[in-house]
Amino acid sequence: MAFYWYESDPELYKAEVAAMRKFFPSFKINQLQDGSGRLYWRGKVQPTGPNGMVWDLMLIYKNNHPYTADGEYGGSIQILPVSPRLKDIARNLPIRPEAGLGLGLPHIYRSNFGRNEEYFICTADPKYFKAGQNRSTSAASALSWACKWIVLCEMWLNGEISDDVALEGNY
Amino acid sequence: MDENDNNAIAQRRRALAEALRTNGEVVVTPTGEVEFKDEAENSDTPAISVPEGKLA
Repeated sequence: MAFYWYESDPELYKAEVAAMRKFFPSFKINQLQDGSGRLYWRGKVQPTGPNGMVWDLMLIYKNNHPYTADGEYGGSIQILPVSPRLKDIARNLPIRPEAGLGLGLPHIYRSNFGRNEEYFICTADPKYFKAGQNRSTSAASALSWACKWIVLCEMWLNGEISDDVALEGNY
Repeated sequence: MDENDNNAIAQRRRALAEALRTNGEVVVTPTGEVEFKDEAENSDTPAISVPEGKLA
């Protein structure tokens, strides 16, 4: 039996590629060169429009895609902003665990990536995954969540959204 | 860009944020721009709906 989801479920792989080519055609798929066999999409988005920031993103499939473990943040596709790097943004922000901002920014989590620990975007709360609690959505869907997060993040950084509103349960 | 333009942009951003908060009809275009669904309907390019639900 194939180890990688894209070998064991080629129809799912085709559906993932078709959805990304339809909705985000500038994104390119590739494989991490770390021996993990994990696939990723990379491309740029500008969620708040022509005057907003350009975000260079990697959408990295976990090898258990499309399934997720209980309590796993972000589903089976991890969203890593390459530029701007969340760790660099957070470095200039106060750490306020009591306000739900233990990493400086709302709705992010940390995880190892290669030799570094990186900050990733939290996308859907698992209870909102379309196909049930243990199944994630597609890369295209995860990217739409990420764009929603970016709008929220940019507005929060600009002071247009308060801490209370930015936190869990509101967006 | 004059003050009226800036006010209009800020007002639209607030409306978008409220639509995102309340699971309103919001889509993401191929460039990643988040727009109201009726704005995107005037375009030829497909736009994906932001799924209902909350950020984790």
